[in-house]
Order: sequence, then C-alpha cells, then structure tokens
Amino acid sequence: MFKIWVVLVFLSMFAFFTGYLREVSALLVGILLISTFIKGYLVIEYFMGLKNITFKYRIIPTLWLLSVLSAIAIAYYLPKN
Amino acid sequence: MQKEKQALPPGDFAIWIIVYIELITFALLFLGYAFSRRLDVALFNKSQLLLDQRFGFANTLLLITSSFFVVKALEAIKNIEKKRAAKIASHWLLAAMSLGSLFLVNKIIEFSDKVDQGINLSTNTFFMFYILLTAFHFMHVILGLVILFTIRQKTKDGGYSAHDYRGMETGAIYWHLVDLLWIVLFPLIYIIR
Repeated sequence: MFKIWVVLVFLSMFAFFTGYLREVSALLVGILLISTFIKGYLVIEYFMGLKNITFKYRIIPTLWLLSVLSAIAIAYYLPKN
Repeated sequence: MQKEKQALPPGDFAIWIIVYIELITFALLFLGYAFSRRLDVALFNKSQLLLDQRFGFANTLLLITSSFFVVKALEAIKNIEKKRAAKIASHWLLAAMSLGSLFLVNKIIEFSDKVDQGINLSTNTFFMFYILLTAFHFMHVILGLVILFTIRQKTKDGGYSAHDYRGMETGAIYWHLVDLLWIVLFPLIYIIR
C-alpha cells in the first residue's frame, strides 16, 4: 500500500507543477486526465479494496471515472462551432 | 494460487448505494463545469489563475495520506491480535482525522482569502462552480470526519476484530470516496486550462 501512496503523491506533484504553466497544452491536458484516471483507479482498486471483488461491482466506480474523464476530455477538445 | 474473488464489495452494501448516488451527483457537477467552460474559455482561464493552486495541492496530499492511514488502520484490525490492533488502529485513525481536519482549516483559509478579494457565488460562472463544488465537497469531508470519529471510538472500545470489521470498512469506504472525488476535482478546478 505504501507504494500506491507514493505513486499517488508523485502524480499529484506532476499535476501541481503542470499548473504553473500559464497555458496547459492539449497534449498536457490529455496527460493530466490520464494521470487523474490512474490516481482514481488506484484509490478504487487498492484503498476502497475492490481489487478482489467480482467484476460487476468492481467495474462500476472505474466506469464512472472513465466516463467522467472522457466527457471532460470531450468538453476540452471538441472544437467550438 | 489465484485468490478467489469476493461476491460483494467491502463494507455494508448500503454504503455502496450512497457511493453510487454521490458519484452521479458529482459527475453532473464536474460535467456542468467542463461544458460551461466551453461557453467562455477566456473567462474561466483568467479566473482560474486567481486561485492559489498550492492550497489545492496541499489538500490533495492531505486527503491521499489520510486515506492511506485509514487503510493502515483497517490492515491493523485485520492482521494484528485484537488488543494491540485496537490501539494501533485508533492511532492510525487519529492521524487520518488530524489530516482531514487540516484539510478543513486549509480550505477555510482559502475561502476567507477569496471572500477578502470580494469573490462570491455571483462573481462569475467559474467562481460559482468553484464555490459550489469545493463547498459541497467540504461538507462531505465534515461528514467523513464524523464517521471516522465514530469508528475510532468503537475501535478504542475494542468493537472491531479480525473477524468483525465490517463497520470500519463501511466508514473507510466513505472516506476513500471523499478522496476519490477530490482527485478529480483538483486538476479540473485548479490545473487544467
């Protein structure tokens, strides 16, 4: 579990330092969303303890995370008319 | 040998119903923010630069670490002999609660700073979402702390053992939910522009 915590801290530090850029490029937005997915996934699997649970319950929070971050990506990437 | 999968998620199933409801509620708020931003990207970017991301980052570290401490408390109950486990787990829970309380203090300082700048719900759409999302999450942290306090009291009284820890698991799930929601909220509000 300590390793999971270290990864979470590392990814949070990455997000924090990215935030100092005045403009966050489209590529960085993608990387930030992927790193957010990894963080959320680690919390769901290891902290919430869904790692050893049957698929139907395990998938719900992960699917939520994936859907929310994908919709956010669409909102950021979709060109305006 | 592969470990057999458990049929039901940890804790009481009722907490998972609450978790699913909370996830849907916050999803609507996150998407409301992201799609409202499309209507005035310049305003959102300019307003976002007025936030001090150090507050957001510090709060991320506090919640992640606090969540980790709750995992350690549960591990202690599951794996250590009952009498010693109660003492160790209650120390982990106290540490988790202290970090959760620091989160609240940090957030209050950040809110006061914004109030001093004359920022409120009516300032613009960005700040409306910023206050709505973070204040709503703030209330969840308060409830999470009340739950942690309750399970710590029961832990101290020897109420959990390696054979009976479902109540602690239930409380822990709520605290991890609070952490998970902040993990999405932090980059969305403070970082991505």
